[in-house]
Amino acid sequence: MVTRSDTPPPLALKILGILALAGFGAATGAAVASLAASRAMAWSDEVALVMAVGLLAMAIASAVVMATRPASVPKGCGLLQIATLLLASAMFLLPIYGGQFATADVVFGAVIVLLVIQTVTNVLLWNKADEMLRRIMAETGAMAFFACQAALFVYAAAERLDLVGPVSSWGLIGITMGVYLCASCLAAARRGIH
Amino acid sequence: MNNRLKVLRAERDWSQADLAEQLGVSRQTVNALETGRYDPSLPLAFRIARVFGHPIESIFSE
Repeated sequence: MVTRSDTPPPLALKILGILALAGFGAATGAAVASLAASRAMAWSDEVALVMAVGLLAMAIASAVVMATRPASVPKGCGLLQIATLLLASAMFLLPIYGGQFATADVVFGAVIVLLVIQTVTNVLLWNKADEMLRRIMAETGAMAFFACQAALFVYAAAERLDLVGPVSSWGLIGITMGVYLCASCLAAARRGIH
Repeated sequence: MNNRLKVLRAERDWSQADLAEQLGVSRQTVNALETGRYDPSLPLAFRIARVFGHPIESIFSE
């Protein structure tokens, strides 16, 4: 077989990349904050917008990493992961902004189509993943489930006691996605993937 | 669990990507194995042993 050595990119390039990503992140965060402030959005829409932008940013970062790593490194599940993130982002954006371009039933139909495609993509990702990536996905699901279940129970009990007001399902799904992304980062970091 | 993956790979002058390709896993998985962040399943441990031509117990230890 052909032998190669693992040559990491130069430190200067790494620092430049981190600075570029930080600048991009700061600019995106400022743009989202000003957009939310200018349109007086509901908090549930703000959460969904932040999730959509976060998912989009993760997709872009993954694409950049995939494009810049050496050709000797196998592409793996990178494309499927990017597709999953982009579809999830679109699914959060459509209910907020889709109504400006089409009727509610058409937008809802589009959301369902995207959900079906994303489900297929997720199944393909699971099938193509190696055992460690599957372990990370399973751990993410377990962590997110227990965190969301505990938080939902506490909130439901408080709501039953009239201590807090009700939360919309749109708000809940935004929070669920936030918890899932945090759990995903934690599970991946435990295996040395940053 | 400890392992000698990094030493065995270095002896053969293989990159992590080379080993990953032979094992049918990602480079990140090889890196996690070498740094002790992930313990392989039994089928993967057998594949690793076969690739290096060593018994499992000479590669992995408690």
